[in-house]
Formats: sequence, C-alpha cells, structure tokens
Amino acid sequence: MNKEVDSFLKEFKEVIRECGKFCFISRGKEFQIEAITKLTKLKQEAASLKERMIRFMDEESANAMLSLESLINAMINELEMWIALKEDNPNKAFDSLINAQSAVRTSAQAHCIAIDLNAEGYTNKLHLLEKLLFPLQIFFSPGLALEKVECSICGKEYGECDHVAGKAYMGRMCYKIIREVKEIKEISIVEEPANKHARVLQFIDEEGTKRDWMTWRRIKKDE
Amino acid sequence: MYRVSDFIDVKKKAREIGCNIPSHMALLPRNFETALYKEELIHEITTPTVRALWRQNGINETPIEKPEEKIPFIDEMAFEWVGPIIFVSAMLLSHDPHLVTIALNVISNYLMQWFKGIPRDSRKAKLTIIVETKSSVYKKIEYEGPVDGLENLAEVIRGVHNE
Repeated sequence: MNKEVDSFLKEFKEVIRECGKFCFISRGKEFQIEAITKLTKLKQEAASLKERMIRFMDEESANAMLSLESLINAMINELEMWIALKEDNPNKAFDSLINAQSAVRTSAQAHCIAIDLNAEGYTNKLHLLEKLLFPLQIFFSPGLALEKVECSICGKEYGECDHVAGKAYMGRMCYKIIREVKEIKEISIVEEPANKHARVLQFIDEEGTKRDWMTWRRIKKDE
Repeated sequence: MYRVSDFIDVKKKAREIGCNIPSHMALLPRNFETALYKEELIHEITTPTVRALWRQNGINETPIEKPEEKIPFIDEMAFEWVGPIIFVSAMLLSHDPHLVTIALNVISNYLMQWFKGIPRDSRKAKLTIIVETKSSVYKKIEYEGPVDGLENLAEVIRGVHNE
C-alpha cells in the first residue's frame, strides 16, 4: 500500500481509539461533540488523500481510503445517535444508527482493510444497538418494475458494463441508479428491508389517538 | 435448504411466447412459468449482475430475449439476495458439467463480498435452478439459506440431472 496511506492509517487508529471512548450514552455530550469535530476533520483528510490516490490511479489505495473514510463516517453517525437520544430525538437517533450501519457496510465492501480494523465486530455492535435501544420497527419495502437502471461508475446501462454493485472501483462504490420506474407493483411490510429509513413513523391506537411510533407520544392534529 | 419440484418444458415455453430457445445456460425471468406473453416477463434485478459476472469469467449464457428486446427488472428492495432463475440444459450437464460449478462459484464469491458488513445470521441468498434431466424432464431446485450452502448446489444439480 502507498506510504501516505500507511501513515494516515496510524493517525486514523489514534483518532478512532480516542473518539471511540465517547461512543457510550453515559459520556458527556460536550465530549461527543468534540469527537465529531475531530472525526469530521479526519474524514476530510481521508477524502482528500483518496482523491490523491485516484489521481495516481492507485486503485488499491483509493479503495482502502474509501474504506477508512466510511468507517470514520460510521463513528460520526454513531456519536450523533447518542447525542440525539440525549436530546430526546429518537427518530433522528435511529436514522443516524442506520446511516452508521450503511457506512460500515460500505467500508467492509470497499477494502479488506476494514476487516483488519474489526468492521465485523462494529457491524454486530451497531445491529445489536438497533435491537436494544429502539422498539421493533415496521419497515416498508416497495416492489418496483424498472425500465432503466444505470451504473453509478460509468453511467452505462447497468449490466452492460463490467462494474457490479457492491464493489469498489477506484475509490467509488458501484451501485444501481434507478432512472425509469415502469410500475409500482406492491408495497410490503417487512422485518428486514434493504432501506431501513422507510419505516412507520405514526400510527393510530385502539382509542383513535394518533401517536409517534418511536416515542408513543400523542401527535397533535396539525403535526 | 433445497426443494426439488417439477417445472414446465422450458424450450417449449420459450418457443410458445417467442423467446430465444436456451441451449446451454440461461437466466430466466421470475415469472417465466406463468407468463402468457413475452411482454409480461420480468427479470430479477440481480440478473444484470449475474450476467456481468459470468461475462467477466467467460461463462456463456443464451439470453432468452432477442438482441433488440429488453425485459424489465423487478426490485423488491429486500435485505436478502434473490438471484435469477438459472436454466441448465441436459446437453451442458452431459458435456461440460464443471461449467455449472464454475458459474455457481462465481455467484458465491460475489455474494461473499456483497454480504460483507451485514451480520452473519442475516446473510441469506435465494437461488432457483431449472435442470433438464437426461430424460428431458424439467425440475426446479430452490435454494434458500446462507451463501456457503451454494457450494453443494452443483452436486444437487448433477444428481437431479441423472434422475
């Protein structure tokens, strides 16, 4: 791997170790905010080094930097979750946790460096937190008939190029971009959707009261 | 994890609805068995991924759609990975059975990568294989389970083919 990436990795481990101390609900909010500031700076450095690796056409290093950048992003989101919980904003906290889960997944898919940095353990922790901190969620999953799907890397029709979704290419993840929906076939309620942001936010209880699913609080008519 | 059942005559159905007749291996649309017209056909969203992976690994497939035609895809935004229906002809299984092993390994290797960053107990794959037996009967093998379970699928296919 590139020497600059090796050197960044040392700084990365140090900052992650330092900021990881504040990934608990009991830690002071002021330290968590400070940790987010440090991590945001580190993330900018990671993004900038990744761009350099892209310019050098060093795909291995560019993907490693994408992986590290995503891990930093995951920790920022985890800290934001703890802060949002303290601020009595569980909906925001849940969204931050889901963002953290997605970021770790990107990190693990982008480069094997994530595995050396215990991304699997971090994945398990974040999924466990979802079960322990939040009530069981009701998710929606749409079934879409798609006419046109594009590759995020080259812009060609997905499948006509050699890029495959879930793989990193020169510091960028390949994913499918939906360009044309032919039909919405169905919308299902599922336990494990691909997108956990699509969930029930409000419901009407047996007495006819509209409530927030996360907090159980009554929702006023104009909300 | 595996379920084997009867399936319709793939070549006859392809002919009836005006599709290319698969000779070796093909990726069939999800509703191939029930569609009355070609226009109704719909592929799994994972079909183009498998096509790209096979192409990169030199595995030839006979698309059932003609070059100028395009079958839409269905994406159910599910957490699990639902693969396309893979048709394997009797001729391929008799002459080049190892190609099926390679084709499945390519998918399995991709899925190992795809499922990274997801807890192990949530990593589920679904794959359906249609096998033409030596006696020209068509059988459906449905697999649902962890990715490493795909390893044994090639053997199950060969077993069904020899029935």
